[in-house]
Amino acid sequence: MTLATTAATGATTGQPQLVIDNVFKQFGEGPGSVIAIDNMSFDVKPGEFVSVIGPSGCGKSTLFNIIGGLLDEYAGNVLIERERIAGPHKAVGMVFQEESTFPWRNVIDNVAFPLELQGVNKSERLDRAHHFIDLVGLKGFEKLMPSALSGGMRQRVSIARTLVSGPQILLMDEPFAALDEQTRLLLGDKITQIQQDLNQTTLLITHNLTEAVQLSDRIVVMTYRPGRVKRIVNIDLPRPRTSDVVSSDAFGHYVAEIWSDLREEASRGMADTESVRRTAPRG
Amino acid sequence: MAATGQVKNPTATMGFAARRASDARSTNLIRIGLLLAIAGSWEALARSGLLFRDVVPSLFSISAAIWKLLGNPAFYANLQVTAWEIFASLAIGSGLGIAVGIILGANRFLGAAFEPYVYYLAPTPRIIFFPVMIMWFGVGIASKIALGALSCFFTVALSTAGGMREVDKVLIRVGRSFRATQWQMATKIYLPAMRAPVLNGIRLGFGTATVTALLAETKLSNQGLGFMIMQIYARFDMPSLYGLLIIVFILAGIGNLILGKVTGTSA
Repeated sequence: MTLATTAATGATTGQPQLVIDNVFKQFGEGPGSVIAIDNMSFDVKPGEFVSVIGPSGCGKSTLFNIIGGLLDEYAGNVLIERERIAGPHKAVGMVFQEESTFPWRNVIDNVAFPLELQGVNKSERLDRAHHFIDLVGLKGFEKLMPSALSGGMRQRVSIARTLVSGPQILLMDEPFAALDEQTRLLLGDKITQIQQDLNQTTLLITHNLTEAVQLSDRIVVMTYRPGRVKRIVNIDLPRPRTSDVVSSDAFGHYVAEIWSDLREEASRGMADTESVRRTAPRG
Repeated sequence: MAATGQVKNPTATMGFAARRASDARSTNLIRIGLLLAIAGSWEALARSGLLFRDVVPSLFSISAAIWKLLGNPAFYANLQVTAWEIFASLAIGSGLGIAVGIILGANRFLGAAFEPYVYYLAPTPRIIFFPVMIMWFGVGIASKIALGALSCFFTVALSTAGGMREVDKVLIRVGRSFRATQWQMATKIYLPAMRAPVLNGIRLGFGTATVTALLAETKLSNQGLGFMIMQIYARFDMPSLYGLLIIVFILAGIGNLILGKVTGTSA
């Protein structure tokens, strides 16, 4: 496991690795403007798995883009080891919701992509890519093109591609959104296992309640528009975890508890979307 | 887990392949049948005496003419001239087209401002510029190259601009998140993602460059296949005329096939 040492740095200190401090983001000016994120604050400690959950349209993806440095005009601070995020930071590895493998590269060349950018020599980058392909359970598929893989396998290629760059913080935006429920649970197992093996600090953005409870140490519940922190819930389920945890009583209790918070926000979001559709249909 | 779920049903795959093979066989039969039917009707018409014998020569005299043409050094000299014209116009037109297409595709403002010009000028007949090109570049091959380059420029520019805009946005975000440099973004994301539309534009550009070069040669020139066609026409040597037309068709088809193969291999 020598390849993944970067992920574990500072794991013992307990100091926050990622700090979201009073982050505010507004789109547009004047009457048509929308406040996507309104003074959100929370932090993620080294080795911790934190999920941000909220209804569709609550500004989750905006938060994802700000932390990933793809949206660099925002108020407040996103700090990694006291450094304010402005532009993509080398400590953050992003996994996107959309299909994001390169269709012209086979699995191993997809995974080796970040190393290629860094100018790592070929044999070393293939070695490291192999390691992470193995880790996400795709050994034997190295030479296949993404078009020959299932959606779940392609998403694992994306995850391996991000992990190979050795991010201190793994930042994922609904990486399983396009997958069916069973694949989602099994991939969740894979993620839990990887996160525990690597002691990988992870921030997951999701709207899926079971997924969030299954994977997280803490869950940040967001309000619908403007996006604020409604509540932060500690998930004290035992580790190491597997997807079996979803059948436990404690799991059901957490889901019910968070859902009662979330229901109000989700129904507000739904009412809002419906009224928007009545007046101005959107694509 | 997905490893086992991913194994394809071999019999289903085979059935599919077998059906495709039989489909391919029947389309081939239809294609060959059509050619034979055309050749048969042609020959029947030629022998019926309904039209002047010289206007619809027998297939045998056309075949003999093709054979004679293929043994004629003048044919190869003219072919070389035309091939060079097409190659040079394609190279110049595609080079400029790709450059302009990238600028229009990358810059939303420039694209909105100038693309309508390219778009509406693309289907106009460029042959009307031939007199201008003759004045600028003379009656030799330079004027044909200029006109050919002008014709394929538009096609390539439009497909490059379109291809650039259609590069999957998430792939660009992936590149940015891995902190790719501008150069890396261009060579490792944009170029491979745009390969198919650009090559397709070049293939279409090859078609227009061929048409333009031959058309221009038939108008005013002293060499090239178009010139040769007009020479034969002036002699009213119908078998050779048809023979040369068939050769040109086949050569253009082969050129298209080769370019199509290159385009088709892209992911």
